[in-house]
Amino acid sequence: MAMQSLSDAGGAPSEMALKLGQFFRNKGAVIGLVIVLVLVFVAIFAPLIAPFDPQMMGAGRRLQPPSFGHPFGTDEFGRDLFSRVVYGSRLTLMIAGIAVGIALAIGLTIGLVGGYAGGWTERVVMRLVDVVFSFTETLIALAAVAVLGPSLKNAMIAVGIATMPFYARICYSTVIVEKNKPYFEATVAAGAGHVRILFLHLLPNILPTMVVVATLGVSTAILAAAGLSFLGLGAQPPSPEWGWMLSAGRDYFTRAPWMMIVPGVSIAITVLGFNLLGDGVREILDPRQTTRR
Amino acid sequence: MLHYLTHRIATALFTVWITTIAVAMLIHIVPGDPVQIMYAQSQGTTPEQLEEIRTRLGLNEPVWVQYGMFMGRILQGDFGQTIRGKQPVLDLLMGRLPNTLLLASVSLVIAAFVGIIFGFFAAYKRGTAVDTGLMISALIGVSMPHFWLGLILLFVFAVNLAWLPVAGEDWRSLVLPAITLGVANAGIIARLTRSSMIDILNQDFVRTARAKGLHKGTILYRHVLLAGLIPVVTMLGLQFTYMLGGAIVVENVFAWNGIGRLAIQAIFQRDYPLIQGFILIFACLVVTVSLVMDLLYAVLDPRVRLS
Repeated sequence: MAMQSLSDAGGAPSEMALKLGQFFRNKGAVIGLVIVLVLVFVAIFAPLIAPFDPQMMGAGRRLQPPSFGHPFGTDEFGRDLFSRVVYGSRLTLMIAGIAVGIALAIGLTIGLVGGYAGGWTERVVMRLVDVVFSFTETLIALAAVAVLGPSLKNAMIAVGIATMPFYARICYSTVIVEKNKPYFEATVAAGAGHVRILFLHLLPNILPTMVVVATLGVSTAILAAAGLSFLGLGAQPPSPEWGWMLSAGRDYFTRAPWMMIVPGVSIAITVLGFNLLGDGVREILDPRQTTRR
Repeated sequence: MLHYLTHRIATALFTVWITTIAVAMLIHIVPGDPVQIMYAQSQGTTPEQLEEIRTRLGLNEPVWVQYGMFMGRILQGDFGQTIRGKQPVLDLLMGRLPNTLLLASVSLVIAAFVGIIFGFFAAYKRGTAVDTGLMISALIGVSMPHFWLGLILLFVFAVNLAWLPVAGEDWRSLVLPAITLGVANAGIIARLTRSSMIDILNQDFVRTARAKGLHKGTILYRHVLLAGLIPVVTMLGLQFTYMLGGAIVVENVFAWNGIGRLAIQAIFQRDYPLIQGFILIFACLVVTVSLVMDLLYAVLDPRVRLS
Protein backbone atom coordinates (compact mmCIF):
# COMPACT_ATOMS: atom_id res chain seq x y z
CA MET A 1 0.00 0.00 0.00
CA ALA A 2 2.74 2.43 1.02
CA MET A 3 4.87 1.30 -1.91
CA GLN A 4 2.08 1.95 -4.34
CA SER A 5 1.36 5.50 -3.20
CA LEU A 6 5.08 6.19 -3.33
CA SER A 7 5.34 5.08 -6.95
CA ASP A 8 2.20 7.04 -7.79
CA ALA A 9 3.64 10.24 -6.40
CA GLY A 10 7.20 10.03 -7.60
CA GLY A 11 7.06 7.65 -10.57
CA ALA A 12 6.79 8.42 -14.25
CA PRO A 13 3.53 10.09 -15.35
CA SER A 14 1.00 7.71 -16.85
CA GLU A 15 0.88 7.02 -20.58
CA MET A 16 -2.41 8.86 -20.75
CA ALA A 17 -0.97 12.00 -19.15
CA LEU A 18 1.99 11.93 -21.53
CA LYS A 19 -0.31 11.68 -24.53
CA LEU A 20 -2.50 14.50 -23.30
CA GLY A 21 0.58 16.65 -22.78
CA GLN A 22 1.71 15.86 -26.29
CA PHE A 23 -1.72 16.78 -27.63
CA PHE A 24 -1.82 20.12 -25.85
CA ARG A 25 1.68 21.07 -27.00
CA ASN A 26 0.43 20.82 -30.61
CA LYS A 27 -0.85 24.33 -31.39
CA GLY A 28 -2.96 23.17 -34.33
CA ALA A 29 -4.69 20.51 -32.26
CA VAL A 30 -5.58 23.04 -29.57
CA ILE A 31 -6.96 25.47 -32.16
CA GLY A 32 -8.98 22.62 -33.62
CA LEU A 33 -10.32 21.69 -30.20
CA VAL A 34 -11.32 25.31 -29.56
CA ILE A 35 -13.16 25.53 -32.92
CA VAL A 36 -15.03 22.30 -32.18
CA LEU A 37 -15.92 23.41 -28.64
CA VAL A 38 -17.20 26.77 -29.93
CA LEU A 39 -19.32 24.90 -32.47
CA VAL A 40 -20.76 22.65 -29.77
CA PHE A 41 -21.47 25.70 -27.60
CA VAL A 42 -23.25 27.50 -30.47
CA ALA A 43 -25.30 24.39 -31.23
CA ILE A 44 -26.39 23.91 -27.61
CA PHE A 45 -27.28 27.56 -27.02
CA ALA A 46 -28.63 28.26 -30.52
CA PRO A 47 -31.99 29.67 -29.28
CA LEU A 48 -30.12 32.15 -27.02
CA ILE A 49 -27.52 33.15 -29.61
CA ALA A 50 -29.74 33.51 -32.67
CA PRO A 51 -31.54 36.89 -32.68
CA PHE A 52 -34.35 35.62 -34.97
CA ASP A 53 -36.35 32.49 -35.69
CA PRO A 54 -34.36 30.75 -38.48
CA GLN A 55 -37.59 30.20 -40.47
CA MET A 56 -39.15 33.65 -39.96
CA MET A 57 -39.70 35.28 -43.32
CA GLY A 58 -40.15 38.97 -43.99
CA ALA A 59 -41.16 40.43 -47.35
CA GLY A 60 -39.66 43.80 -46.44
CA ARG A 61 -36.14 42.53 -45.69
CA ARG A 62 -35.29 40.30 -48.62
CA LEU A 63 -31.64 39.94 -49.77
CA GLN A 64 -30.35 42.58 -47.37
CA PRO A 65 -26.56 42.95 -47.06
CA PRO A 66 -24.87 42.34 -43.70
CA SER A 67 -25.76 45.05 -41.15
CA PHE A 68 -26.06 45.54 -37.39
CA GLY A 69 -29.51 43.97 -37.29
CA HIS A 70 -28.53 41.11 -39.62
CA PRO A 71 -24.77 40.45 -39.20
CA PHE A 72 -24.70 37.96 -42.12
CA GLY A 73 -27.46 39.60 -44.17
CA THR A 74 -30.78 38.03 -45.17
CA ASP A 75 -31.81 35.50 -47.81
CA GLU A 76 -34.37 35.54 -50.62
CA PHE A 77 -37.25 35.09 -48.15
CA GLY A 78 -35.95 37.75 -45.74
CA ARG A 79 -34.76 35.15 -43.23
CA ASP A 80 -31.84 36.16 -41.00
CA LEU A 81 -28.75 34.29 -42.24
CA PHE A 82 -26.92 34.55 -38.92
CA SER A 83 -29.77 32.79 -37.13
CA ARG A 84 -29.93 30.16 -39.87
CA VAL A 85 -26.20 29.47 -39.66
CA VAL A 86 -26.42 29.23 -35.86
CA TYR A 87 -29.26 26.71 -36.06
CA GLY A 88 -27.49 24.97 -38.93
CA SER A 89 -24.62 24.12 -36.57
CA ARG A 90 -27.04 21.77 -34.79
CA LEU A 91 -27.76 19.97 -38.02
CA THR A 92 -24.07 19.75 -38.90
CA LEU A 93 -23.18 18.21 -35.54
CA MET A 94 -26.18 15.88 -35.68
CA ILE A 95 -25.27 14.73 -39.21
CA ALA A 96 -21.64 14.23 -38.21
CA GLY A 97 -22.62 12.35 -35.05
CA ILE A 98 -25.18 10.07 -36.66
CA ALA A 99 -23.22 9.38 -39.86
CA VAL A 100 -20.04 8.61 -37.91
CA GLY A 101 -22.10 6.60 -35.40
CA ILE A 102 -23.57 4.45 -38.18
CA ALA A 103 -20.15 3.99 -39.81
CA LEU A 104 -18.60 3.12 -36.45
CA ALA A 105 -21.35 0.64 -35.55
CA ILE A 106 -21.12 -1.22 -38.88
CA GLY A 107 -17.33 -0.98 -39.03
CA LEU A 108 -16.93 -2.16 -35.45
CA THR A 109 -19.18 -5.19 -35.99
CA ILE A 110 -17.47 -6.18 -39.23
CA GLY A 111 -13.96 -5.62 -37.89
CA LEU A 112 -14.71 -7.45 -34.66
CA VAL A 113 -16.30 -10.46 -36.32
CA GLY A 114 -13.74 -10.58 -39.15
CA GLY A 115 -10.75 -10.26 -36.85
CA TYR A 116 -12.06 -12.65 -34.19
CA ALA A 117 -13.41 -15.39 -36.46
CA GLY A 118 -10.44 -15.63 -38.80
CA GLY A 119 -10.35 -18.14 -41.64
CA TRP A 120 -12.99 -17.93 -44.35
CA THR A 121 -15.25 -15.51 -42.49
CA GLU A 122 -12.35 -13.09 -42.15
CA ARG A 123 -11.42 -13.35 -45.83
CA VAL A 124 -14.95 -12.89 -47.16
CA VAL A 125 -15.87 -10.08 -44.78
CA MET A 126 -12.68 -8.08 -45.22
CA ARG A 127 -12.73 -8.59 -48.99
CA LEU A 128 -16.22 -7.09 -49.06
CA VAL A 129 -14.95 -4.13 -47.04
CA ASP A 130 -12.18 -3.69 -49.63
CA VAL A 131 -14.79 -3.69 -52.39
CA VAL A 132 -16.76 -0.91 -50.71
CA PHE A 133 -13.55 0.99 -49.94
CA SER A 134 -12.31 0.89 -53.53
CA PHE A 135 -15.35 2.74 -54.83
CA THR A 136 -14.70 5.99 -52.96
CA GLU A 137 -17.20 7.56 -50.59
CA THR A 138 -18.96 9.63 -53.23
CA LEU A 139 -20.06 6.70 -55.37
CA ILE A 140 -21.21 4.57 -52.44
CA ALA A 141 -23.10 7.51 -50.92
CA LEU A 142 -24.74 8.30 -54.27
CA ALA A 143 -25.72 4.67 -54.81
CA ALA A 144 -27.21 4.51 -51.32
CA VAL A 145 -29.21 7.72 -51.84
CA ALA A 146 -30.33 6.46 -55.26
CA VAL A 147 -31.78 3.39 -53.55
CA LEU A 148 -33.20 5.06 -50.43
CA GLY A 149 -34.37 8.32 -52.01
CA PRO A 150 -33.23 11.89 -51.27
CA SER A 151 -33.70 13.07 -47.67
CA LEU A 152 -31.51 14.20 -44.78
CA LYS A 153 -32.05 10.92 -42.93
CA ASN A 154 -31.05 8.88 -45.97
CA ALA A 155 -28.04 11.11 -46.62
CA MET A 156 -26.77 10.37 -43.10
CA ILE A 157 -27.27 6.62 -43.64
CA ALA A 158 -25.56 6.90 -47.05
CA VAL A 159 -22.53 8.71 -45.62
CA GLY A 160 -22.41 6.18 -42.77
CA ILE A 161 -22.30 3.24 -45.17
CA ALA A 162 -19.83 5.00 -47.47
CA THR A 163 -17.31 5.76 -44.72
CA MET A 164 -17.71 2.42 -42.93
CA PRO A 165 -14.62 0.67 -44.47
CA PHE A 166 -12.26 3.10 -42.74
CA TYR A 167 -13.54 2.02 -39.31
CA ALA A 168 -13.85 -1.66 -40.24
CA ARG A 169 -10.20 -1.81 -41.31
CA ILE A 170 -8.86 -0.08 -38.20
CA CYS A 171 -11.08 -2.16 -35.92
CA TYR A 172 -9.93 -5.32 -37.68
CA SER A 173 -6.25 -4.54 -37.20
CA THR A 174 -6.85 -3.54 -33.57
CA VAL A 175 -8.56 -6.90 -32.93
CA ILE A 176 -5.62 -8.73 -34.48
CA VAL A 177 -3.27 -6.92 -32.07
CA GLU A 178 -5.52 -7.71 -29.09
CA LYS A 179 -5.70 -11.38 -30.06
CA ASN A 180 -1.97 -11.70 -29.49
CA LYS A 181 -2.07 -10.30 -25.97
CA PRO A 182 -1.80 -12.63 -22.96
CA TYR A 183 -5.22 -11.75 -21.54
CA PHE A 184 -6.87 -12.98 -24.70
CA GLU A 185 -5.14 -16.34 -24.57
CA ALA A 186 -5.99 -16.58 -20.88
CA THR A 187 -9.68 -15.95 -21.57
CA VAL A 188 -9.76 -18.56 -24.32
CA ALA A 189 -7.89 -21.02 -22.10
CA ALA A 190 -10.38 -20.36 -19.29
CA GLY A 191 -13.07 -21.59 -21.65
CA ALA A 192 -15.00 -18.36 -22.23
CA GLY A 193 -17.66 -18.52 -24.94
CA HIS A 194 -17.52 -16.51 -28.18
CA VAL A 195 -20.12 -13.99 -27.04
CA ARG A 196 -18.34 -13.47 -23.74
CA ILE A 197 -14.95 -13.00 -25.39
CA LEU A 198 -16.35 -10.63 -28.02
CA PHE A 199 -18.45 -8.41 -25.81
CA LEU A 200 -16.83 -8.59 -22.39
CA HIS A 201 -13.17 -8.79 -23.36
CA LEU A 202 -12.46 -7.61 -26.90
CA LEU A 203 -15.03 -4.82 -27.21
CA PRO A 204 -14.09 -2.92 -24.03
CA ASN A 205 -10.44 -3.06 -25.05
CA ILE A 206 -10.86 -1.74 -28.57
CA LEU A 207 -13.72 0.70 -27.99
CA PRO A 208 -11.57 3.56 -26.56
CA THR A 209 -9.24 3.40 -29.59
CA MET A 210 -12.17 3.30 -31.98
CA VAL A 211 -13.86 6.30 -30.39
CA VAL A 212 -10.64 8.29 -30.74
CA VAL A 213 -10.27 7.09 -34.33
CA ALA A 214 -13.81 8.33 -34.99
CA THR A 215 -12.62 11.95 -34.63
CA LEU A 216 -10.51 11.39 -37.76
CA GLY A 217 -13.59 10.58 -39.80
CA VAL A 218 -15.81 13.47 -38.74
CA SER A 219 -14.54 15.98 -41.32
CA THR A 220 -15.02 13.49 -44.17
CA ALA A 221 -18.56 12.81 -42.99
CA ILE A 222 -19.43 16.52 -42.78
CA LEU A 223 -18.04 17.26 -46.25
CA ALA A 224 -19.77 14.25 -47.82
CA ALA A 225 -23.14 15.07 -46.24
CA ALA A 226 -22.86 18.74 -47.22
CA GLY A 227 -22.05 17.63 -50.77
CA LEU A 228 -25.18 15.47 -50.91
CA SER A 229 -27.32 18.32 -49.57
CA PHE A 230 -25.73 20.68 -52.07
CA LEU A 231 -26.75 18.34 -54.90
CA GLY A 232 -30.29 18.33 -53.51
CA LEU A 233 -30.00 14.72 -52.34
CA GLY A 234 -29.79 15.44 -48.60
CA ALA A 235 -31.44 18.10 -46.45
CA GLN A 236 -34.53 19.58 -48.09
CA PRO A 237 -35.85 23.16 -47.85
CA PRO A 238 -36.55 25.03 -45.64
CA SER A 239 -33.89 23.28 -43.53
CA PRO A 240 -31.01 25.59 -42.47
CA GLU A 241 -28.49 22.89 -43.45
CA TRP A 242 -25.29 24.61 -44.62
CA GLY A 243 -24.78 22.60 -47.81
CA TRP A 244 -28.35 23.19 -48.91
CA MET A 245 -28.18 26.92 -47.99
CA LEU A 246 -25.07 27.25 -50.15
CA SER A 247 -26.85 25.63 -53.05
CA ALA A 248 -29.87 27.93 -52.63
CA GLY A 249 -27.53 30.94 -52.51
CA ARG A 250 -26.02 30.35 -55.93
CA ASP A 251 -29.08 31.71 -57.74
CA TYR A 252 -28.56 35.04 -56.02
CA PHE A 253 -24.80 35.32 -56.15
CA THR A 254 -24.54 38.58 -58.08
CA ARG A 255 -27.21 40.29 -55.94
CA ALA A 256 -26.47 38.69 -52.57
CA PRO A 257 -23.04 37.01 -52.51
CA TRP A 258 -23.22 36.63 -48.70
CA MET A 259 -25.90 33.96 -49.14
CA MET A 260 -23.29 31.63 -50.60
CA ILE A 261 -20.20 32.85 -48.77
CA VAL A 262 -21.56 32.54 -45.20
CA PRO A 263 -22.56 28.85 -45.24
CA GLY A 264 -19.43 27.95 -47.25
CA VAL A 265 -17.13 29.58 -44.71
CA SER A 266 -19.07 27.90 -41.90
CA ILE A 267 -18.52 24.45 -43.44
CA ALA A 268 -14.84 25.20 -44.13
CA ILE A 269 -14.12 26.40 -40.57
CA THR A 270 -15.94 23.44 -39.03
CA VAL A 271 -14.11 20.93 -41.21
CA LEU A 272 -10.82 22.72 -40.54
CA GLY A 273 -11.47 22.42 -36.80
CA PHE A 274 -12.12 18.69 -37.01
CA ASN A 275 -9.12 18.23 -39.33
CA LEU A 276 -6.78 19.99 -36.90
CA LEU A 277 -8.20 18.00 -34.01
CA GLY A 278 -7.83 14.80 -36.04
CA ASP A 279 -4.19 15.62 -36.86
CA GLY A 280 -3.46 16.01 -33.17
CA VAL A 281 -5.15 12.71 -32.41
CA ARG A 282 -3.38 10.93 -35.27
CA GLU A 283 -0.03 12.11 -33.97
CA ILE A 284 -0.74 10.49 -30.62
CA LEU A 285 -1.97 7.26 -32.20
CA ASP A 286 0.91 6.92 -34.65
CA PRO A 287 4.29 7.41 -32.95
CA ARG A 288 6.10 7.25 -36.32
CA GLN A 289 4.50 10.54 -37.25
CA THR A 290 6.02 12.34 -34.26
CA THR A 291 9.58 11.30 -34.99
CA ARG A 292 9.19 12.87 -38.41
CA ARG A 293 8.93 16.39 -37.11
CA MET B 1 5.44 -11.54 -60.43
CA LEU B 2 3.10 -13.95 -62.23
CA HIS B 3 1.58 -14.96 -58.91
CA TYR B 4 1.07 -11.32 -57.92
CA LEU B 5 -0.41 -10.54 -61.33
CA THR B 6 -2.97 -13.36 -61.24
CA HIS B 7 -3.88 -12.60 -57.64
CA ARG B 8 -4.40 -8.93 -58.41
CA ILE B 9 -6.49 -9.61 -61.54
CA ALA B 10 -8.59 -12.17 -59.64
CA THR B 11 -9.26 -9.58 -56.92
CA ALA B 12 -10.33 -7.02 -59.52
CA LEU B 13 -12.69 -9.50 -61.20
CA PHE B 14 -14.15 -10.45 -57.81
CA THR B 15 -14.83 -6.79 -57.06
CA VAL B 16 -16.63 -6.31 -60.37
CA TRP B 17 -18.64 -9.50 -59.77
CA ILE B 18 -19.78 -8.34 -56.33
CA THR B 19 -20.79 -5.03 -57.90
CA THR B 20 -22.93 -6.76 -60.53
CA ILE B 21 -24.79 -8.59 -57.76
CA ALA B 22 -25.31 -5.37 -55.81
CA VAL B 23 -26.46 -3.53 -58.93
CA ALA B 24 -28.82 -6.32 -60.00
CA MET B 25 -30.34 -6.35 -56.51
CA LEU B 26 -30.63 -2.56 -56.41
CA ILE B 27 -34.10 -2.64 -57.92
CA HIS B 28 -35.29 -4.98 -55.14
CA ILE B 29 -33.88 -2.94 -52.26
CA VAL B 30 -35.74 0.17 -53.41
CA PRO B 31 -38.68 0.78 -51.07
CA GLY B 32 -42.00 0.37 -52.86
CA ASP B 33 -42.73 -1.12 -56.26
CA PRO B 34 -39.91 -0.06 -58.60
CA VAL B 35 -42.02 -0.36 -61.74
CA GLN B 36 -44.71 1.91 -60.33
CA ILE B 37 -42.13 4.42 -59.10
CA MET B 38 -40.39 4.48 -62.46
CA TYR B 39 -43.55 4.95 -64.45
CA ALA B 40 -45.31 7.20 -61.97
CA GLN B 41 -44.57 10.26 -64.08
CA SER B 42 -45.94 8.89 -67.35
CA GLN B 43 -49.71 9.31 -67.19
CA GLY B 44 -52.18 6.70 -68.23
CA THR B 45 -50.16 3.56 -67.72
CA THR B 46 -52.68 0.75 -67.25
CA PRO B 47 -52.12 -2.10 -64.78
CA GLU B 48 -51.79 -4.44 -67.79
CA GLN B 49 -48.98 -2.33 -69.18
CA LEU B 50 -47.23 -2.33 -65.79
CA GLU B 51 -47.56 -6.11 -65.69
CA GLU B 52 -46.11 -6.33 -69.18
CA ILE B 53 -43.14 -4.17 -68.16
CA ARG B 54 -42.66 -6.35 -65.09
CA THR B 55 -42.56 -9.47 -67.25
CA ARG B 56 -40.22 -7.80 -69.73
CA LEU B 57 -37.82 -6.80 -66.93
CA GLY B 58 -38.10 -10.34 -65.55
CA LEU B 59 -39.37 -9.13 -62.17
CA ASN B 60 -41.77 -12.07 -61.91
CA GLU B 61 -38.96 -14.63 -62.06
CA PRO B 62 -37.03 -15.98 -59.05
CA VAL B 63 -34.14 -13.77 -57.95
CA TRP B 64 -31.32 -15.99 -59.28
CA VAL B 65 -33.02 -16.30 -62.66
CA GLN B 66 -33.26 -12.50 -62.75
CA TYR B 67 -29.58 -12.21 -61.93
CA GLY B 68 -28.75 -14.68 -64.70
CA MET B 69 -30.84 -12.70 -67.19
CA PHE B 70 -29.24 -9.46 -66.01
CA MET B 71 -25.72 -10.83 -66.40
CA GLY B 72 -26.59 -12.31 -69.80
CA ARG B 73 -27.68 -8.91 -71.03
CA ILE B 74 -24.75 -7.04 -69.46
CA LEU B 75 -22.20 -9.42 -70.97
CA GLN B 76 -23.71 -8.78 -74.39
CA GLY B 77 -23.27 -5.05 -73.79
CA ASP B 78 -27.01 -4.49 -73.32
CA PHE B 79 -27.45 -2.20 -70.31
CA GLY B 80 -31.11 -1.55 -71.11
CA GLN B 81 -32.78 1.73 -72.05
CA THR B 82 -33.33 4.89 -70.08
CA ILE B 83 -36.87 5.37 -68.78
CA ARG B 84 -36.99 8.87 -70.22
CA GLY B 85 -36.16 9.12 -73.88
CA LYS B 86 -35.64 5.35 -74.30
CA GLN B 87 -31.96 5.78 -75.15
CA PRO B 88 -29.52 2.85 -74.83
CA VAL B 89 -27.88 3.29 -71.40
CA LEU B 90 -24.44 2.09 -72.44
CA ASP B 91 -24.20 4.47 -75.42
CA LEU B 92 -25.30 7.39 -73.28
CA LEU B 93 -22.74 6.64 -70.55
CA MET B 94 -19.92 5.94 -73.01
CA GLY B 95 -20.67 9.24 -74.74
CA ARG B 96 -20.21 11.14 -71.47
CA LEU B 97 -17.31 9.11 -70.06
CA PRO B 98 -14.50 10.86 -72.01
CA ASN B 99 -15.53 14.21 -70.49
CA THR B 100 -15.26 12.84 -66.95
CA LEU B 101 -11.92 11.17 -67.67
CA LEU B 102 -10.60 14.37 -69.21
CA LEU B 103 -11.67 16.42 -66.19
CA ALA B 104 -10.23 13.96 -63.67
CA SER B 105 -6.92 13.61 -65.58
CA VAL B 106 -6.32 17.35 -65.97
CA SER B 107 -7.24 17.85 -62.31
CA LEU B 108 -4.81 15.14 -61.28
CA VAL B 109 -1.99 16.84 -63.18
CA ILE B 110 -2.82 20.16 -61.49
CA ALA B 111 -3.11 18.54 -58.05
CA ALA B 112 0.18 16.65 -58.45
CA PHE B 113 2.03 19.69 -59.76
CA VAL B 114 0.83 22.11 -57.09
CA GLY B 115 0.93 19.52 -54.29
CA ILE B 116 4.46 18.29 -54.99
CA ILE B 117 5.88 21.81 -55.29
CA PHE B 118 4.19 22.93 -52.05
CA GLY B 119 5.17 19.77 -50.18
CA PHE B 120 8.76 19.85 -51.43
CA PHE B 121 9.35 23.45 -50.43
CA ALA B 122 7.67 22.96 -47.07
CA ALA B 123 9.98 20.00 -46.38
CA TYR B 124 13.05 21.89 -47.57
CA LYS B 125 12.18 24.89 -45.38
CA ARG B 126 10.80 22.75 -42.56
CA GLY B 127 10.24 24.45 -39.24
CA THR B 128 10.21 27.92 -40.81
CA ALA B 129 7.36 30.32 -41.50
CA VAL B 130 7.37 29.19 -45.15
CA ASP B 131 6.66 25.62 -44.04
CA THR B 132 3.89 26.71 -41.69
CA GLY B 133 2.32 28.95 -44.33
CA LEU B 134 2.38 26.27 -47.02
CA MET B 135 0.96 23.64 -44.69
CA ILE B 136 -1.80 25.93 -43.46
CA SER B 137 -2.84 26.62 -47.04
CA ALA B 138 -2.77 22.87 -47.73
CA LEU B 139 -4.99 22.26 -44.71
CA ILE B 140 -7.43 24.94 -45.86
CA GLY B 141 -7.47 23.30 -49.30
CA VAL B 142 -8.40 19.97 -47.69
CA SER B 143 -11.08 21.56 -45.51
CA MET B 144 -12.93 23.57 -48.16
CA PRO B 145 -15.91 21.90 -49.80
CA HIS B 146 -15.09 21.33 -53.53
CA PHE B 147 -18.43 22.65 -54.66
CA TRP B 148 -18.05 25.88 -52.72
CA LEU B 149 -14.59 26.63 -54.13
CA GLY B 150 -16.02 25.83 -57.56
CA LEU B 151 -18.93 28.23 -57.18
CA ILE B 152 -16.68 31.04 -55.95
CA LEU B 153 -14.31 30.54 -58.91
CA LEU B 154 -17.29 30.34 -61.25
CA PHE B 155 -18.75 33.62 -60.08
CA VAL B 156 -15.47 35.50 -59.87
CA PHE B 157 -13.85 34.40 -63.14
CA ALA B 158 -16.79 33.46 -65.33
CA VAL B 159 -19.63 35.73 -64.20
CA ASN B 160 -17.98 38.88 -62.83
CA LEU B 161 -14.73 39.08 -64.75
CA ALA B 162 -16.05 37.08 -67.76
CA TRP B 163 -12.57 35.72 -68.50
CA LEU B 164 -13.86 32.20 -68.99
CA PRO B 165 -17.19 30.76 -70.16
CA VAL B 166 -19.80 29.76 -67.55
CA ALA B 167 -20.41 26.41 -69.24
CA GLY B 168 -19.52 24.70 -72.48
CA GLU B 169 -17.62 21.85 -74.07
CA ASP B 170 -14.27 23.37 -75.14
CA TRP B 171 -10.99 23.57 -73.22
CA ARG B 172 -11.78 27.02 -71.84
CA SER B 173 -14.74 25.68 -69.92
CA LEU B 174 -12.52 22.90 -68.58
CA VAL B 175 -10.17 25.36 -66.84
CA LEU B 176 -12.31 26.21 -63.80
CA PRO B 177 -13.64 22.72 -62.98
CA ALA B 178 -10.13 21.27 -63.34
CA ILE B 179 -8.64 23.94 -61.05
CA THR B 180 -11.44 23.35 -58.51
CA LEU B 181 -10.91 19.63 -58.36
CA GLY B 182 -7.12 19.97 -58.60
CA VAL B 183 -6.68 22.55 -55.85
CA ALA B 184 -9.03 20.68 -53.52
CA ASN B 185 -6.85 17.57 -53.82
CA ALA B 186 -3.47 19.30 -53.98
CA GLY B 187 -3.59 19.72 -50.19
CA ILE B 188 -3.52 15.97 -49.55
CA ILE B 189 -0.63 15.49 -51.98
CA ALA B 190 1.29 18.41 -50.45
CA ARG B 191 1.01 16.94 -46.95
CA LEU B 192 2.11 13.50 -48.11
CA THR B 193 5.00 14.91 -50.18
CA ARG B 194 6.21 16.92 -47.20
CA SER B 195 6.35 14.01 -44.78
CA SER B 196 7.92 11.73 -47.38
CA MET B 197 10.60 14.32 -48.26
CA ILE B 198 11.40 14.92 -44.59
CA ASP B 199 11.90 11.17 -44.13
CA ILE B 200 14.38 11.19 -46.99
CA LEU B 201 16.17 14.37 -45.87
CA ASN B 202 16.91 12.70 -42.53
CA GLN B 203 18.43 9.60 -44.10
CA ASP B 204 22.07 8.63 -44.16
CA PHE B 205 22.54 8.68 -47.90
CA VAL B 206 21.59 12.33 -48.05
CA ARG B 207 24.20 13.12 -45.40
CA THR B 208 26.74 11.06 -47.34
CA ALA B 209 25.95 12.97 -50.52
CA ARG B 210 26.37 16.23 -48.66
CA ALA B 211 29.64 15.05 -47.11
CA LYS B 212 30.90 14.10 -50.56
CA GLY B 213 30.49 17.77 -51.43
CA LEU B 214 27.85 17.24 -54.10
CA HIS B 215 26.11 20.32 -55.41
CA LYS B 216 23.05 21.19 -53.32
CA GLY B 217 20.75 21.18 -56.36
CA THR B 218 21.97 17.75 -57.40
CA ILE B 219 21.30 16.33 -53.94
CA LEU B 220 17.85 17.84 -53.74
CA TYR B 221 16.82 16.80 -57.21
CA ARG B 222 18.44 13.42 -57.72
CA HIS B 223 18.47 12.07 -54.17
CA VAL B 224 15.65 13.72 -52.29
CA LEU B 225 12.97 14.61 -54.83
CA LEU B 226 13.12 11.41 -56.87
CA ALA B 227 13.35 9.11 -53.85
CA GLY B 228 10.69 11.01 -51.94
CA LEU B 229 8.27 10.81 -54.83
CA ILE B 230 7.82 7.01 -54.71
CA PRO B 231 5.07 7.04 -52.05
CA VAL B 232 3.54 10.10 -53.67
CA VAL B 233 3.26 8.39 -57.05
CA THR B 234 1.60 5.41 -55.36
CA MET B 235 -0.84 7.80 -53.77
CA LEU B 236 -1.68 9.38 -57.13
CA GLY B 237 -3.48 6.22 -58.24
CA LEU B 238 -5.76 6.34 -55.22
CA GLN B 239 -6.07 10.06 -55.74
CA PHE B 240 -7.31 9.50 -59.29
CA THR B 241 -10.21 7.40 -58.05
CA TYR B 242 -11.02 10.20 -55.58
CA MET B 243 -10.91 12.66 -58.47
CA LEU B 244 -13.45 10.53 -60.33
CA GLY B 245 -15.70 10.65 -57.26
CA GLY B 246 -15.15 14.39 -56.80
CA ALA B 247 -15.85 14.94 -60.49
CA ILE B 248 -19.46 13.83 -59.89
CA VAL B 249 -20.03 16.88 -57.68
CA VAL B 250 -17.87 19.36 -59.59
CA GLU B 251 -19.52 18.46 -62.92
CA ASN B 252 -22.81 19.56 -61.41
CA VAL B 253 -21.39 22.91 -60.33
CA PHE B 254 -20.04 23.75 -63.78
CA ALA B 255 -22.64 21.93 -65.92
CA TRP B 256 -19.77 19.88 -67.35
CA ASN B 257 -21.30 17.07 -69.38
CA GLY B 258 -19.72 14.05 -67.74
CA ILE B 259 -21.24 10.87 -66.32
CA GLY B 260 -21.52 12.46 -62.87
CA ARG B 261 -24.01 15.04 -64.07
CA LEU B 262 -25.92 12.32 -65.87
CA ALA B 263 -25.96 10.23 -62.69
CA ILE B 264 -27.46 12.99 -60.54
CA GLN B 265 -30.17 13.61 -63.14
CA ALA B 266 -30.85 9.87 -63.19
CA ILE B 267 -31.23 9.79 -59.40
CA PHE B 268 -33.74 12.64 -59.48
CA GLN B 269 -35.73 11.00 -62.28
CA ARG B 270 -35.47 7.59 -60.62
CA ASP B 271 -34.14 6.27 -63.89
CA TYR B 272 -33.01 2.93 -62.45
CA PRO B 273 -31.52 1.38 -65.62
CA LEU B 274 -29.34 4.48 -65.99
CA ILE B 275 -28.35 4.41 -62.29
CA GLN B 276 -27.45 0.73 -62.57
CA GLY B 277 -25.40 1.37 -65.69
CA PHE B 278 -23.63 4.30 -64.07
CA ILE B 279 -22.62 2.33 -60.98
CA LEU B 280 -21.34 -0.56 -63.09
CA ILE B 281 -19.34 1.63 -65.46
CA PHE B 282 -17.93 3.69 -62.60
CA ALA B 283 -17.03 0.53 -60.68
CA CYS B 284 -15.21 -0.94 -63.69
CA LEU B 285 -13.37 2.35 -64.13
CA VAL B 286 -12.22 2.52 -60.49
CA VAL B 287 -11.19 -1.15 -60.50
CA THR B 288 -9.23 -0.73 -63.73
CA VAL B 289 -7.45 2.38 -62.49
CA SER B 290 -6.36 0.77 -59.22
CA LEU B 291 -5.34 -2.45 -61.02
CA VAL B 292 -3.17 -0.55 -63.50
CA MET B 293 -1.65 1.54 -60.70
CA ASP B 294 -0.82 -1.53 -58.59
CA LEU B 295 0.79 -3.28 -61.53
CA LEU B 296 2.80 -0.17 -62.43
CA TYR B 297 3.95 0.05 -58.84
CA ALA B 298 4.97 -3.60 -58.87
CA VAL B 299 7.04 -2.99 -61.99
CA LEU B 300 8.71 0.05 -60.39
CA ASP B 301 9.34 -1.40 -56.94
CA PRO B 302 10.85 -4.89 -56.79
CA ARG B 303 9.91 -5.28 -53.10
CA VAL B 304 6.23 -5.52 -54.01
CA ARG B 305 6.45 -8.12 -56.75
CA LEU B 306 8.77 -10.38 -54.77
CA SER B 307 6.64 -10.53 -51.64
